Amino acid sequence: MEFSDDLRKILSGNIDRLVRAGAEYVDARYFADDSSEYLVLYDGDLEANDTGFQSGLGVRVLFGGAWGFAASSDMSNAVECFDMALQNARTAAKLVKVPLSMGRIDRIVGKYSSPVEVDPFEMPLEDKLDFLIGIDKTLAEDWILRRMVFANLQRKRILFMNSDGSDIEKEFLNVFGSMAVMAMDSDGEMQRRSMSLFSTGDGTRGWEMILQPELYSGHSDRIKSELSGLLSADTLEYGKRSVILLPGQGHLQVHETIGHPLELDRILGYELSYAGGSFVGLDDFGKLQYGTDKLNVSAYGEIANSPGTFGYDDDGMPERDYMLIENGILVDAITSRAMIKEANEKAGRSVFAESGGSARATAFYRSPIDRMTNVNILPGDDGNLDDIIATTEDGIIVDNPVSWSIGSNREHFHFGCEIAWEIRKGKKTRILRNPTYQGHTLEFYNSLSAVGNRSTWRVEQVANCGKGEPNQIMQIGHGVPIIRFDSVISGERS
Amino acid sequence: MIDERLRGILRRVRNEAETRGITASFGLHHEISHLMRIGNNSVSLNTSEQLTRLDIEVTNGRRKGSHTHLGSIEDDNIVLDALDIAVNKAKVSKPLNYDPIPGLVEETVEESDQYDTALAELDPAFKAGAYGRIFEEVGPDYNYSGSWSSGVMEKFTITTGTNNEFYHKSTDQQFTIVLKDSVNKWELSDVQTGWKLNQFSADVTIDKFRKLLPVYTENEGFKVESGDYTVIFGAEAVADIVRMALWTGFSGRGWEEKRAWTAGAVIGDKILGENITILDDPENPLTFMFGADAAGVRRREFIVVEDGVFRNLMYDASTAGKYGKRPTGHDIGSPGVCMKCGNGAENPLEAVDGKGRVLFIPALHYVNIPSMTKGIFTGSSRFNALLIEDGKIVSPIFSSRVTDSFENVLGNISVISGVPESVNGSNTYGRRSPRASAVPSYIVVEKVKITDSADSF
Repeated sequence: MEFSDDLRKILSGNIDRLVRAGAEYVDARYFADDSSEYLVLYDGDLEANDTGFQSGLGVRVLFGGAWGFAASSDMSNAVECFDMALQNARTAAKLVKVPLSMGRIDRIVGKYSSPVEVDPFEMPLEDKLDFLIGIDKTLAEDWILRRMVFANLQRKRILFMNSDGSDIEKEFLNVFGSMAVMAMDSDGEMQRRSMSLFSTGDGTRGWEMILQPELYSGHSDRIKSELSGLLSADTLEYGKRSVILLPGQGHLQVHETIGHPLELDRILGYELSYAGGSFVGLDDFGKLQYGTDKLNVSAYGEIANSPGTFGYDDDGMPERDYMLIENGILVDAITSRAMIKEANEKAGRSVFAESGGSARATAFYRSPIDRMTNVNILPGDDGNLDDIIATTEDGIIVDNPVSWSIGSNREHFHFGCEIAWEIRKGKKTRILRNPTYQGHTLEFYNSLSAVGNRSTWRVEQVANCGKGEPNQIMQIGHGVPIIRFDSVISGERS
Repeated sequence: MIDERLRGILRRVRNEAETRGITASFGLHHEISHLMRIGNNSVSLNTSEQLTRLDIEVTNGRRKGSHTHLGSIEDDNIVLDALDIAVNKAKVSKPLNYDPIPGLVEETVEESDQYDTALAELDPAFKAGAYGRIFEEVGPDYNYSGSWSSGVMEKFTITTGTNNEFYHKSTDQQFTIVLKDSVNKWELSDVQTGWKLNQFSADVTIDKFRKLLPVYTENEGFKVESGDYTVIFGAEAVADIVRMALWTGFSGRGWEEKRAWTAGAVIGDKILGENITILDDPENPLTFMFGADAAGVRRREFIVVEDGVFRNLMYDASTAGKYGKRPTGHDIGSPGVCMKCGNGAENPLEAVDGKGRVLFIPALHYVNIPSMTKGIFTGSSRFNALLIEDGKIVSPIFSSRVTDSFENVLGNISVISGVPESVNGSNTYGRRSPRASAVPSYIVVEKVKITDSADSF
């Protein structure tokens, strides 16, 4: 990855020019390459065979305590793009009650590259298709009505410079994969089982990751078998019982009810008009019993291999490893430079010592916002799935989301899952279909009664977290073990 | 802008493709977008973008490939390179098990009826000024947030096999504001939409908030116990429910593959209440009107449900090819979803006078589908939601969850407003692609299932 001196001169020269014009902070992100590829096999038909390429410049300016942003896909307009960002900031500064500040930090020079052995964008398309077609063939059965195999590849090469003097080169590569099978159950309702490529957190994240059978292709027989079991299964009946979340479901639970409510921009009210707010307040840090003492949640977690690992954020800060919840107590949030300054001033105390390095923008034409990195539940000491089942009197195990709907302040939720297994008196008894469960976030995490050990922990990849206006799709990771909650309302009233 | 230079480039490459025997569609999408975000009574972001996207799809017998380029298009070579990428992708692609239907612009269309120069050239300072005025007049002590998106979108599509051209140019806007009481945590909101600047009025927002504020400041929140309720759904909730019902029940793909909640029904069956007519109407001025879909298919009024009777399914080109049907102009979903109005009073409170306890849920937050086959949806109340007794507003309600079926909700409507309202359904995930629904300003539904509620707003 090489960025020319001429490019650096254009960016740094314009940054300096805007600072001289009164800007308090300026950053520029030049995306030399933002490539994507979607390959979708549906019933064996290659229904999507798409690539995309985008390149351009995004400029963010803080003036008078207000942000202005401008983007252009045409680098010959770079000067105008900087000017537009400043002009937008000047306009924004006309309506400022709470001036924003980025503070001062020392210059950071750095490089980050996702660990990759095989770049899928340098591979022949035929090889990628052969692999996916091979998986599709293993899914095909007469009784399976629909099947889907999907790969989503992303590569971004970015030069970041800002008025702190920072100069950061970043190269990300993401490989997402999923597969699904569908068939009609005894009531004529279509049932689905699916799985998505996950990681152990270690290793590399190029095309070689998707080739590991234990992470992806080796699960095709399992999901077929589980689908077969669903077809004649009874529907989960309404009631209160223990609910054990496998990582395929647990990661979304964490994402929606720990990750999002702990984004500091949400807490401060910057997302109210779209995504919503948070039930968490600034007074809650250091005090709020978010869950039982079995709940330990980290940000980033030094996971080498995850879409939520990116080296440096779009404020120019290094990604930081820290705890969000310790022994059930809320201790920190997902934060960025401007947000922590505002929060500390608002709280009248230092709630947040330093930025969490979580400001991220999805494309050159979007401005950074607070984003989850890797939000992880740390492994516990309650053994593996068998151990957790053995200590469950009346419950269900659930996996993989079908639907999710969360209250505007993340205070309550409703999830539908693909499959449940009933547990009675410490034994897994039968498969149940159409499982749903719902709860209130704090009550739910304060019923956390078992956290699986490291052998149950894995990193689930989220390819499409939507947030912000204009909306941005971001890639995130969640390391989660198997977790059990008690007295959860599950199933629907008849 | 998509000027004659850019059109000329596309035409020359299209002609070159035809000479080379390539079947291809070419689309240019240009946007000038502006968005102002408000947070904590300040402009938290003032952003503008000017982007041009080129989409090329190549069909080679039963093989397909496509490529999108976002960047400047200085000359023919950029488009030729993108064409070659798509051609090479199609060449090595796996053949489909059916004959795909390539994009084809059916008729030449040049439309700019919904273009407003005042909105296109709007100074962002106007937006800041409007927000500032609302803060001052409603009360500066509340916490305000919001966003105001506006912009120009141009689309130019040509295909091999015809010299027809589709060109669309329009403006659109969506204004939102949320007023939050920092102590008691309740939230009010207002949303305005349209394609002309003068469709926005700060006075409308100020008036709405002034009417709602006493309900919230003078009454405690009400926790709704789970059970069946008569519910007034406001226009935003109606639009959400109708769009979701269409997507999960009336897309050709879902129905053909027995995943739709309508899968057990056939055209001509009565499936919803007889007071329900739902259509895709690209000529309804309360929607953002597009004369053709992304595949070039001419869009015309398309009735999906008429007086409760299942009339049509919506087929995109891919599904139509797979199942031997004709594309119906729905290659970009249903941008003009409309529900016909009834004869209910303008004021929804009059419509529920004498009905006892009623919930008023103007909008649903975070709607999702626990079961597509059963047509079950779930979502929760949020802004401006009220408890009503015998036609009188009693108090605001805490966040309450609706989990019910489309068949139940769209089968038990006792009153449909006679006033249509435009509800913006655009998302800002990627390219600017405005869409709006025209729906009744409210519906009254009996026996709606409330399945949970919070102890707070």
